[in-house]
Amino acid sequence: MLSYNVKLALQSFKRAPSLYFLVLLTLSIGVGLLCANLALVSSMAGDPIPEKSDRLFHVSMNTWPTDKPAAEPFHILRYREAMKISESDIPKHSAVFYASGVYARDSQSISLKRFDSSVRATTPGFFALTKAPFAYGNGFAKSSGMEVVIGDQLNQKIFAGANSVGKTLELDGELLTITGVLKPWYLRPLFYHATEGRAFNLTDDIYAPLETAIDLGWSIHARTSSAVSYKGVQFTRDRDVFYLQAWVELEGRAQQQAFQNYLDNYSQTLKDAGEHPLNILNELRDVNAWLSELKIVDQKVLAFTLASVLFLCVCVFNASSLLLSRFHSAKFEVGLRRAIGASNKNIFNQGLTESVLLGLMAGFLSVLLSWLFLKLSITFLPDLANIAVLDPKLLLLGMLLALVTSVSSALYPLYRANRYTISAELK
Amino acid sequence: MNIKALFKSLLLRKFTTGLLILQLAITLGLLVNSSILAFDTKGKISQTTGLDNDNILIMSTQPTSGSYRDLDYFRSIVNQDIVKLNQLPGVNSVSVTNQLPIATQGMSSNIYDLDNPEQDKTDKYLQSVQYILTQENLADAMGFIILEGRFLNKDDQLDFGSEQKRNIVITESLKRALYGNESAIGQETNNGFIVGVIKDIILDPTLPSDKQYGMFVNTVMEYIFTGRFYVLNIDPHQMASVRSQVSETILAVQAERDIFRVFTMQEHLNRFYRDDKGLADLFLLLCGLMLFITAISSYAYSQFHVSRQQRFIGIRRALGARKKDILLYVLTENWFVYSIGCLLGCIVVFGFNILLSQYISLSKPDIALFLLAVGVIFISGTVATWLPAVRTSNIPPVIATKTV
Repeated sequence: MLSYNVKLALQSFKRAPSLYFLVLLTLSIGVGLLCANLALVSSMAGDPIPEKSDRLFHVSMNTWPTDKPAAEPFHILRYREAMKISESDIPKHSAVFYASGVYARDSQSISLKRFDSSVRATTPGFFALTKAPFAYGNGFAKSSGMEVVIGDQLNQKIFAGANSVGKTLELDGELLTITGVLKPWYLRPLFYHATEGRAFNLTDDIYAPLETAIDLGWSIHARTSSAVSYKGVQFTRDRDVFYLQAWVELEGRAQQQAFQNYLDNYSQTLKDAGEHPLNILNELRDVNAWLSELKIVDQKVLAFTLASVLFLCVCVFNASSLLLSRFHSAKFEVGLRRAIGASNKNIFNQGLTESVLLGLMAGFLSVLLSWLFLKLSITFLPDLANIAVLDPKLLLLGMLLALVTSVSSALYPLYRANRYTISAELK
Repeated sequence: MNIKALFKSLLLRKFTTGLLILQLAITLGLLVNSSILAFDTKGKISQTTGLDNDNILIMSTQPTSGSYRDLDYFRSIVNQDIVKLNQLPGVNSVSVTNQLPIATQGMSSNIYDLDNPEQDKTDKYLQSVQYILTQENLADAMGFIILEGRFLNKDDQLDFGSEQKRNIVITESLKRALYGNESAIGQETNNGFIVGVIKDIILDPTLPSDKQYGMFVNTVMEYIFTGRFYVLNIDPHQMASVRSQVSETILAVQAERDIFRVFTMQEHLNRFYRDDKGLADLFLLLCGLMLFITAISSYAYSQFHVSRQQRFIGIRRALGARKKDILLYVLTENWFVYSIGCLLGCIVVFGFNILLSQYISLSKPDIALFLLAVGVIFISGTVATWLPAVRTSNIPPVIATKTV
């Protein structure tokens, strides 16, 4: 029966190819556009590290030394707080870091070409905390020392992707040895540094020990706040300069509470010493809470997604009225089939087969179109280039959406077709 | 034409008519709001910035070599760059700065008059005032208008490392926030003595126009590693030729530099609104698609109508209706549907506007745009129904006898 229905459907497609093509086109444009937008939204609102996002916590503290700014916790910390967090043995792992940038070249290379590289100056706990995937070698063990870990992209650029562990890079005139090379590593969003509009940046090129970067005076490439003037990052250790971000990995409520107490006690000692004029307000937020706090989902994309939902509605309406006119013009055939014994159910099943088939075709076309729309969106909104990916989940959703819209746009026309009276149509 | 009869005839096909009306309403809603978005963006891009947008050329650059960690070396290169750039024909003035106007991020500081230290508690904008490190030529390069006092001069650059209070120049709105209508010259703030006030420029477009607070300090040479931008004022006719030479000119002084971009102030403004423009373009693209789909629907609607009403139209023709009458009848019927669609569209326009405003900033709909969008819908709809309408008018009267 199914093969018979499919055969009939194909015949029907052949009989009115331009009409079915229009239906197909309308539905796939609508679904494709919506899928492209959903791909962007799902990347932006996604969980970048699902296996432990509920155990990783961003630390905010409001240790500002005067009562001038509003009393809200700062996402950036002074060196002294950062060290306090680092030295605690409550968290399983902790990472304290700032973003910088240097120019890099292979010190052995005869070419003087240097590559603009983003730097994460961090404590060694970063790699275990973020589960950074190593291709070769491993992370550095101390916060000081002339060692670095490099990302896949930089390794491709400088060493053509070969195992570069043990080689020496010249970074802004200093020589540092590579101890590890990462595999291609995508975090969408870049949870560990989602502030300052960086949530959709790529992972870093170079990971350097924190103390080394400070000693070398690698400048801070992210938000800093300071209550005093200072001449460079190397002078920040004992000053009121806020620039470090901190993450900790805590297992279970008890550990979380213990660490919260640890921070609060620390703030209390500052308060007792008269160095903490604001109310104590230390906050721990897990990955998803932190990302939603930062409201990183692009409002423009949300607005456009809303418009594309409306657009899909219009497409379904359009397909529906097209199919209605198609079924109407085929009513003689329906009447004939009913007259020679086909039941209403048969006719309905046949129509359903037709729309499912149409839905499947629209599904394939819409997947193709959503890829195209995604490319188009990033030419219009280039900042989103790093998150414009169609993952299998979305491809499936696209197919499903095409199927649902196709069947739903055929429902009313089918209902109408079933109500034609045989005698009237055959007359 | 009998509206009641038309209405009755439409009621005969409630479903398709209803769908088309809904489509038209949604299309209208999208069309009007997309146009608003496009006009809003256009307005932002063409706003007056207080700067000589088209004659200012900017080059953003960064040293790539470790030699620049020696700041004296760095300074000597920058000084040579400035001399060489000044020698290019058509260059009126060259300066260096750490940050550009028309930006949301950058260096900032709080400011208050020393006699009035609570000032920045009452005006929160005073807590984060753009702090621009530059040198004496920036006023010429950017075309600042001096309202009071003078711009920074060579003597305002103190010995490096000096703890002495500096001289600063502030913007007009900052002066007003600090001193009202009084003169600001000679006043002492936490950041130094005010020696001049310049007419407001757009420093941060996301802030109100009377909150364009900024201060200029002659310290870029001391902290030369912050001097990322060369700002050049160019003769209007020489822009293209200067633009093509600036990179080579500084690379000839010292090659170990990355030159990120060379752009005019107007391009900088456009780039600031790049995402707004992108979104407006996406919406316009969607409008195009929507109009296309709606035109298909209008076509299908009329076509369906023809096939169903053959008999009635045949009878009409037999009773004496001319081809012209039938054509007019079909078109009027469609126009009637469009009118209902546009009426409903009014609600959708406002609804969609409110909905979008939750996510992006958007002006309120205005009547001219609405009428324009209605016009576009009528025209595209009429074009789409023309063929079926003509076909309908060609139904011969003899059909009537066939189908009775």
